[in-house]
Amino acid sequence: MSATTDHLAASALSSQARVETPFRRFVSDFFESKVATGACVMLSVIIFIALFAPLISPQNPYDLAVVDVMNARLEPGEQSWSGDLTFVLGSDGAGRDMLSAIFYGLRISLSVGVMSGIIAMIIGMVVGLMAAYFGGRTDTVIMRIVDLQLSFPAILIALVLIAILGKGVDKVIIALVTVQWAYYARTVRGSALVERRKEYIEAATCLALSHRRIVFRHLLPNCLPPMIVVGTLQTAHAISLEATLSFLGLGLPQTEPSLGLLIANGFEYMLSGKYWISFFPGIALLVTIVTINLVGDQLRDVLNPRLER
Amino acid sequence: MKILKHVTTVVAALLLAVAGAASAKNLTIGLASEPTAIDPHFHNLTPNNSLLGHLFNALVLQDENQNLIPGLAVSWRAIDDTTWEFKLRQGVKFHDGSPFTADDVIFTFGRAPDVEGSPSSFGIYTKGKEVVKIDDHTIHIKTERPYPLMPNDVSTIMIISEEKGRGAKTPDYNSGKAAVGTGPFKFVEYVPGDRIVFERNESYWGSKPEWTRVTFKSIKSGPSRVAALLAGDVDIIEQTPTVDIERLKKDPKLSLSQGISNRVIYLHMDQFREESPFVKAKDGGKMKNPLLDARVRRAISKAVHRDAIVDRVMEGIAVKAGQLLPEGFFGRSPKLSPEPYDPAGAKALLAEAGVGDGFKLTIHGPNDRYINDAKIAEAVGQMLTRIGIDTEVVTMPRSVYFKRASRGAEGGQPEFSFILVGWGSGTGEASSPLKSLLHTYDKERGFGPSNRGRHSDPEVDRLIEDALATVNDAKRQDLLAKATELAIGRNQGIIPLHYQVNTWAAKKGIKYRARTDERTVAYGVYTE
Repeated sequence: MSATTDHLAASALSSQARVETPFRRFVSDFFESKVATGACVMLSVIIFIALFAPLISPQNPYDLAVVDVMNARLEPGEQSWSGDLTFVLGSDGAGRDMLSAIFYGLRISLSVGVMSGIIAMIIGMVVGLMAAYFGGRTDTVIMRIVDLQLSFPAILIALVLIAILGKGVDKVIIALVTVQWAYYARTVRGSALVERRKEYIEAATCLALSHRRIVFRHLLPNCLPPMIVVGTLQTAHAISLEATLSFLGLGLPQTEPSLGLLIANGFEYMLSGKYWISFFPGIALLVTIVTINLVGDQLRDVLNPRLER
Repeated sequence: MKILKHVTTVVAALLLAVAGAASAKNLTIGLASEPTAIDPHFHNLTPNNSLLGHLFNALVLQDENQNLIPGLAVSWRAIDDTTWEFKLRQGVKFHDGSPFTADDVIFTFGRAPDVEGSPSSFGIYTKGKEVVKIDDHTIHIKTERPYPLMPNDVSTIMIISEEKGRGAKTPDYNSGKAAVGTGPFKFVEYVPGDRIVFERNESYWGSKPEWTRVTFKSIKSGPSRVAALLAGDVDIIEQTPTVDIERLKKDPKLSLSQGISNRVIYLHMDQFREESPFVKAKDGGKMKNPLLDARVRRAISKAVHRDAIVDRVMEGIAVKAGQLLPEGFFGRSPKLSPEPYDPAGAKALLAEAGVGDGFKLTIHGPNDRYINDAKIAEAVGQMLTRIGIDTEVVTMPRSVYFKRASRGAEGGQPEFSFILVGWGSGTGEASSPLKSLLHTYDKERGFGPSNRGRHSDPEVDRLIEDALATVNDAKRQDLLAKATELAIGRNQGIIPLHYQVNTWAAKKGIKYRARTDERTVAYGVYTE
């Protein structure tokens, strides 16, 4: 407790004009780590690329009228046969510019990861809060389902679902949500159980507020910090899972490759020395996942009340 | 990759241990696709026919260039217009020691056309033929009309033992119980998904192969197959990936064999529906099927840059096609050559046909059947999109693809509008593809079983049927050539892209005699 007071006093001294708010404190704590700062910058760059891929890519890699098989498997730095485009990172077996394909692939990977993360979080949160708040049989039933689901490897469930549902972005998102909601449900239940015993919930109950109001207006906001951490890490997990599915040929269509499919397409060229077709998408995937994980780790450290500094 | 290598090494080591200290010559072959059964009449499919030629013989065999050579029959001739006489080989024994006689042939021709659950039956080769026993080593086969292709058809039917085959179902062959033939190898073991093991038939009637024990392993993924060869887990592989060939050629530890195949890769278009399910107007609305118009089909042919496909997709390892069979095969037309690349001409033809603004089209293709099949489909998609036909590319595994392509729509009709497929001539001449792909679909008479575009032209039908009944070779050649010129040159019933060229890679010291029928057989492997 005294450490906090010291800290407060110190920051109050250093900038008299600024008022210490929880958010400011969070921001300053977060950027204390150089690694996390770097990761944050990198993540912003990746998000920027994903958002503005159509504007910054040299080519639309999904437009079959532009992609020309005459430019297939060019090495990094080579010119297209018509001379109007330089393939900075080379081209793949269909003549697609790798740089553009990676930009568009990031867009797909990130959107699939974030979309499935958000949907799974909402489902997991509602279910987990219900389990914690109502307890008893509701809790038992929900948590046994969660246990059952967590006892299967995520990739196995996803593979089975894709096999049943078929290919497509929407199907991949459904599969990822199905595998991930249980993590959120378990996390939110844990912190909600602690919060539920606190006085403010008791007070709210005495005021005869509706269950819904207590759960969503009082309980939920106090359970959010761990959810943000799990959400970040699970998003990275979802991206790598989507890449795995695509690598196995179960994700997205051939003509609109995500990072996983790009790696899979390049895999068959590995033995013939055409490394760039799977190497660069692999690097892009690696950097994305590591960056998100670093940010997630730092968030966990900063938001963890037990790790007071 | 590394883990995979380790796993295959361990498996290979175990296999060696199981095989014991046999000093004999062993051969391990890496197959690209696994046969679907050990039953020689279950599925008319190249991997099956290739494998089962080890255990069984037909009356007439095909050499590596698909020339007919004596098998279980020593000679054959047409004794009148509608009767063929086959003299059977004397002294041939089945693997169980029982003698081979005319009764086995009659039994085989009775069983071959109706095997329970057969996905692709041998009926097309036995229909309309009546087999009569004259004595133990002479048979007559009678037809209603003159039938010059009899020896070719007979070469596709492998002879089984009547004694073992009576009442035997496909599982009895898979277990080895009924897998008793007269071939150069005997059945040892069949583990689906893992391996098939044969040993040499020491009392084979023909020239004995070099190898005493042959193990077939199916390794579906191209890079894994190459890795298994480089690691020494297999001695020879088929369907060497085109991307690796240049590098493997330079490897001093390997030797490659290459040869053109009888397989043409082509596009087939919906020519029977007024509204085709995968053709849409540019705005996504319905439109009259433009593929019904031969001008549109010719425009597509002109828009396809065959040189680009051969050079860039196939790495130069293919030969561009303008008809059904490559040079050197019987029944080719000397007049047809591959349609030159002409996008401007293609657009002009589209405009002439009233679809100058283009339309939307989906090309469907397999992704694990032909060499680089998915990439070819994507390249065709690019080329058509550039002349204004917005093309979506959908590829799928062959297990799903062929079912839907042949009879996925209502009433067992073909489902797709525009497909990429291939056809290898089982008989080694042009009547096989003409009959199957371009003759009007007629289930009863066995015509057009693979005519998935339902191309139909009475003039072509007549020419094909006349050819099938013409005994004079020169006349038949002319009729087949004329039929091809009309069906492809005039009607654009199918659009040929290229002929496949196959590459086998083996470790140094052993060689393979490349075969036009794409089969990978142990008796074609020899030490240098």
